[in-house]
Amino acid sequence: MGAVTSIAHRVTGVVLFLTFPFLVYLLDLSLQDADGFNQATAWLQSTWLRLGSAVIAWSLFHHLFAGIRYLLIDIEAGVSLRQARASAWLVNVAGVTAAVLYLGWIL
Amino acid sequence: MDPVSHHADGLRTWLLQRVSAVYLGLFLLYVLAHFWLNPRPDYEAWRAWVASPVVSITGAGFILALLIHGWVGVRDVTLDYIHHLGLRLVLLTLVAFLLIGCGLWVMRILIVISS
Repeated sequence: MGAVTSIAHRVTGVVLFLTFPFLVYLLDLSLQDADGFNQATAWLQSTWLRLGSAVIAWSLFHHLFAGIRYLLIDIEAGVSLRQARASAWLVNVAGVTAAVLYLGWIL
Repeated sequence: MDPVSHHADGLRTWLLQRVSAVYLGLFLLYVLAHFWLNPRPDYEAWRAWVASPVVSITGAGFILALLIHGWVGVRDVTLDYIHHLGLRLVLLTLVAFLLIGCGLWVMRILIVISS
């Protein structure tokens, strides 16, 4: 579990880096005028981008939760093997759960 | 570079990555809470929110923290997996350009809507 959390933390970090230009483009479009805003939201609601944005949402939430776990381990909270395994499992499940909630929110 | 300053540099990077992470996390929680409380904004509400002093200034800070955090993170991943020095140099140069370019782009967006 810890290995999955760790590798996924790296993969999601790279995914977030690669989607950065696209997100900035969406931000720019959404702030230009009402037409741009409608176009940006219509894009987010198209089937493919909805799936794509769910992947981005999962990446963000997993990266955030795994990052919080690492910060806690840095300050020596939850460093026993049993606690570290449990928190890794919690992070993996919470990331997926948050992505599913996000999908429900945008549908 | 002598070993002592190199060590200090590694420690500073380690600390920068964590300080930027905390700021990014707090800002994200703030944004998520905002959308939780004010779901599905229209254009006017969205624009007014982003252009407000608090959001545009803390948002500029977010982008600065994101550039630092993204650079340290992607650099670490690149150093671990890409062993060919030339390729590493090319990739890291592209990463730096992409991060700085996107950062300046967001700053421009924030300045335009705030003026």
